[in-house]
Amino acid sequence: MIDISSIPNIPPVLIYFAGAALIPLLGKGRARKIYLIILAALGLIGVAVLRSPAPGEWEFSVSGFELIFLYVDPLSLIMGYIFAIIGAAAILYSIGVVKENGEFVCGLLYLGSAMGAVFAGDLFTLYIFWEIMAFSSLGLIWYSRTERATNAGMRYILFHLFGGCALLAGIIINYMSTGSISMVPGESGIGYFFVQSGIGYFLLLIGIGVNTAFILLHTWLPDSYPKATIAGAVFMCVFTTKTGVYALARTFPGAELSLFGNEIPFVAYIGAVMCLYGVIFALLQNDVRKLLSYHIISQVGYMVAGVGIGTYIGINGGIAHVFNHILYKALLFMCMGSVIYATGRNNLTELGGLAKKMPITMITCVIAALSISGVAGFNGYVSKGMVIHAAELEEMHILTLALMLGSVGTFLSFLKLTYFTFFRRNDEIEAKEAPLFMLIPMSVTAFLCVALGVYPKMLYEILPYREVALQFHAYALGHTLGTLELLAMTAFMFFSLRVLIMPHDRITYDIDCLYRKAGRGFIWFCEKPLVSFAIGVEKVVLRIVGSFVRFSKNPLRGTRVMIDMMGVALLKPFIFVFNLVIQPVYKYYERDLEEVKMRPVEEMEKMSIGTGMLLILLFFALYLIAMLVHGWMA
Amino acid sequence: MDKKVLKGLLIMIVCVVLVVSAVFVFVKHTEHSEYFTGFLYGAIGVSFFLIMAKILSLIQKEGKQDD
Repeated sequence: MIDISSIPNIPPVLIYFAGAALIPLLGKGRARKIYLIILAALGLIGVAVLRSPAPGEWEFSVSGFELIFLYVDPLSLIMGYIFAIIGAAAILYSIGVVKENGEFVCGLLYLGSAMGAVFAGDLFTLYIFWEIMAFSSLGLIWYSRTERATNAGMRYILFHLFGGCALLAGIIINYMSTGSISMVPGESGIGYFFVQSGIGYFLLLIGIGVNTAFILLHTWLPDSYPKATIAGAVFMCVFTTKTGVYALARTFPGAELSLFGNEIPFVAYIGAVMCLYGVIFALLQNDVRKLLSYHIISQVGYMVAGVGIGTYIGINGGIAHVFNHILYKALLFMCMGSVIYATGRNNLTELGGLAKKMPITMITCVIAALSISGVAGFNGYVSKGMVIHAAELEEMHILTLALMLGSVGTFLSFLKLTYFTFFRRNDEIEAKEAPLFMLIPMSVTAFLCVALGVYPKMLYEILPYREVALQFHAYALGHTLGTLELLAMTAFMFFSLRVLIMPHDRITYDIDCLYRKAGRGFIWFCEKPLVSFAIGVEKVVLRIVGSFVRFSKNPLRGTRVMIDMMGVALLKPFIFVFNLVIQPVYKYYERDLEEVKMRPVEEMEKMSIGTGMLLILLFFALYLIAMLVHGWMA
Repeated sequence: MDKKVLKGLLIMIVCVVLVVSAVFVFVKHTEHSEYFTGFLYGAIGVSFFLIMAKILSLIQKEGKQDD
């Protein structure tokens, strides 16, 4: 029997970072395949044997700040488990499609930094890994090596840099008001970390909201994920948004806002909006990965709602949904990646007829679609039911309705996805089943989706509030019956009215078209009015500098010019009023000015430095005497 | 899609919504209403999403790529 306590407690981030560092040494052959399989297994083992570190273990003091690189509690542990499981699946899947070592390095750095973020014990360590995640995932977009991917990557990183800045500012302001950067909640519970209200509070929320894809901050997601590489999208659909939900569960569970004298759990309602918004836009998509990307927003809405409700069952539901969603969403991206890999097509209008040609992909995709739709017997049903149950218990009727409608829309769009990809007749399409390295992780993930749906107790055991979770009955008669009726009616209406949601070659505008217009307006402002203003300022400055240069060449002439100019400027308004008296003087100054200007600038005779210094000293002495006399007189 | 067909479908959706609402009110007042609400929410949900999709299709433009 192996004694787990004898195995060193290593932060999983180190396993993946070290793994990424060694990849370039392995070439592109069989050695790399074996190494990646070992690395995936090591990551799983590393998380499985993790336990709470001893005090001081993996803690470092930097400039008076205590940075904690490994903090283990039930919340970080469940995130670690699912990241390791799907990380292993994504690594195996990548073996089949990824050619370049750089893409593997980016994927492993991304996976490692997500692990670093969820096991961070303080906000500053979280922020460091948060930023590494942003840059490493950018590589997964840019490895597509298309112009669209390059542009989408730029927009992606701009959004994340904005979010990162907001997060850092929030951390600093929060530190100034609370004196702490620790994320360790202590005795008060999993997510009851103290955040002081104020500007820092909202900056933290915005920073986390960018990664969690709150509506208005979400456009980077459907913009970039469909343009990532096939394997890159599988990595990307897992880590960024879920790390955001994790950070939200740590910092804002049940957060309330005072509105019209009522305390509103606004984070929960942000989740409701995400849930509906994502589904509506998903229904309009033609690109399969874009449809899935909008569904990430919708499903993250359930998680945000669960965390926002803030009760033990709500947080459990939100985190259970993170776990389940990662499984079926990664599976969906793997399935669609296989379809794109096999056919070279990614639009629903061009697909169809793949059920017989890619049977394993079809079966796993249907399992994932049933899971995300919340059909009884699949994992999504359990966690979605838990979040809706939490909303019902708190008598949040609007939230409950929104989440139920979200289920209808989800089923509707996955009926659309599976029907138009696999079952609609298409005799033209040529394809063969995906390679074995892709099918193995897909099958294992599909098995987990079913296993957790049939036997949800496995999941309850690892949830943050285990005792509360074990009391939840996912398959209560009323709930199961209601869900089946809901989905049966949805299926019936889809097949009756599917002509209304047929895919089309159309572009749907999201809120980002406003950002892009605003961006173009800003660039025009910088290029036109701002540049003209800058040129004007430059001219004025050059004139001033020129006058100083001329003045310094011959100060006597310069002084004379100045006096003449002042005389002309001061007397000009009065020559018509006091004509007789003023005009001769004005004429004198004007004539003198013209005369001086006509003459070439003659440089004055220069004195030696010693003489100059003597004059300066004399001037200071006179000034000193004047001051002394002034003081004595006073 | 032909505009006439689209109009017909929209009228059909509106009719479905009205019928479903009437059934909803009726069922809510029967003794075992909880056993039927799933069907009703399903119908309301699908109608809601179809109408939203049609409204949003007004701001779509022809094309394959979104850049």
